[in-house]
Amino acid sequence: MCAKWYLGTGAQNDVVINTSIHLARNVRNYPFPARLSLPEKLKVNSVIKTAADSIGEYNFNYYEMKTLSQSEVVSLAERHLVSPEFASSRDGRALLLTEDEAVSIMLNEEDHIRLQVMYAGFALDEAYRTANNIDKELSQKLDFAFDDKLGYLTQDPTALGTGMKASVVLHLPALVSTSQITKLITTVSKLGLSLRGSYGEGAAAKGDMFRLSNTITLGISERAAIENLKSIALQIAAQERTAREEIFKAPVTEDRIYRAYGVLKYARLIDTNEFMELISLVRLGAVKGIINMDCAQIEALMIHMQPATISLSVDRPLDRIERDKLRALLVRRALN
Amino acid sequence: MICQNCNKNEANMHMKRIINGRAAEVHLCSDCARSLGYGEAFSGFGLGLGELFGELLSKGEGSANTGLHCHGCGKTFDEIVSDGKMGCAECYGVFYDKLLPSLRRIHGKATHVGTKPVKNESISYDSQIAELKQKLAVAVEEQNFELAAQIRDEINEISQKGGNA
Repeated sequence: MCAKWYLGTGAQNDVVINTSIHLARNVRNYPFPARLSLPEKLKVNSVIKTAADSIGEYNFNYYEMKTLSQSEVVSLAERHLVSPEFASSRDGRALLLTEDEAVSIMLNEEDHIRLQVMYAGFALDEAYRTANNIDKELSQKLDFAFDDKLGYLTQDPTALGTGMKASVVLHLPALVSTSQITKLITTVSKLGLSLRGSYGEGAAAKGDMFRLSNTITLGISERAAIENLKSIALQIAAQERTAREEIFKAPVTEDRIYRAYGVLKYARLIDTNEFMELISLVRLGAVKGIINMDCAQIEALMIHMQPATISLSVDRPLDRIERDKLRALLVRRALN
Repeated sequence: MICQNCNKNEANMHMKRIINGRAAEVHLCSDCARSLGYGEAFSGFGLGLGELFGELLSKGEGSANTGLHCHGCGKTFDEIVSDGKMGCAECYGVFYDKLLPSLRRIHGKATHVGTKPVKNESISYDSQIAELKQKLAVAVEEQNFELAAQIRDEINEISQKGGNA
């Protein structure tokens, strides 16, 4: 099996975890997914699969969602390869996924096609280039629902136009601990962007991970939306670095990092919330050079320690205690 | 208790959700609850403002029950108002006038300026021109007249190919 995208180390990775581009597309002459019958959905899946298979550059594995187990499906959602909504109802839905999991295409989610390209670190231009290439290839094979005035036509009118959502996931422990995050969330919303917890929502964002995305898709080009996102992301990253310098002046920060590391290294039971809280501190320490761990390893651990993904590592369903025990064991192994 | 999202209003919606396999309590004011899409089993991933859109439509123009329906998929305007979802590509043509005010409110503008499918590239140049005009305005504002002249030439070139400048 080839290496997953998240095992790489990307640019600006002291703050920027990963970058993703989503494109929403629909095939003309078929109603949008909510109004498709099951046989029609299967037909749409097969039309898109045929088009995707003919793109020489990418090798997609094809999964009918109904054929996957509940844990497999939830794990796909935990790895951000499909949406929770997509995982919740599986009939007539399918997934095209490259081996490195950098490119995934959800079929019959909100739209016939939800293309996602995800790279480690800060890589908006690269991710957009890949997404755009695949989109262009697909648009040669498929007749997309498109209107000169309104752009790509989507089931949800708020995605109309470019149908593009670009996101960067940012690690913002210092902005959280200095209580600057809520103000930031309000500010970016005035700039046509949204900032939300990447694991968990709102102020309860786990692991201090936040997703910054564009919300406006009509009347702005992909290029302009990306430039806008890029500039705001870099400003937030700069603010986070300043806040980190500030919090490291207090000895308590280093102490908290070492304590977090100690708990992760020796705990026998650890739940997702506690794990996320502690690993966030450890990541902060690793970036600072206090803790000897590389960020790619930490990101992979964050993904692998989510509840369904952890259950997948053994071949049977686990109850909560068994899962917390296994998580503690795997974390100990990774850290020792 | 204060709303977890806006940190301003009093939270009057209290929910328990399972996030990543664990129960989490969520406290929101009604505005934030609506805009975050609570009330649906799953939310928060997609472009996800659908429910909000339905609400906008219902307050906007054309909320009267007209019985108008899409000839492509049969969806009525009232159904779109209730779930915030379009039924098919043709709905946009049928309900264009009714949608326009809400689209403007959400996106600020209502004309696409981004890429187009390869098949459509040769058909229309209008949105390229619209994008260039935006850039032109920025260039003029920044007093970058050299760039402005370049952009103006590009616009002329495209309009000669058949776009409407």
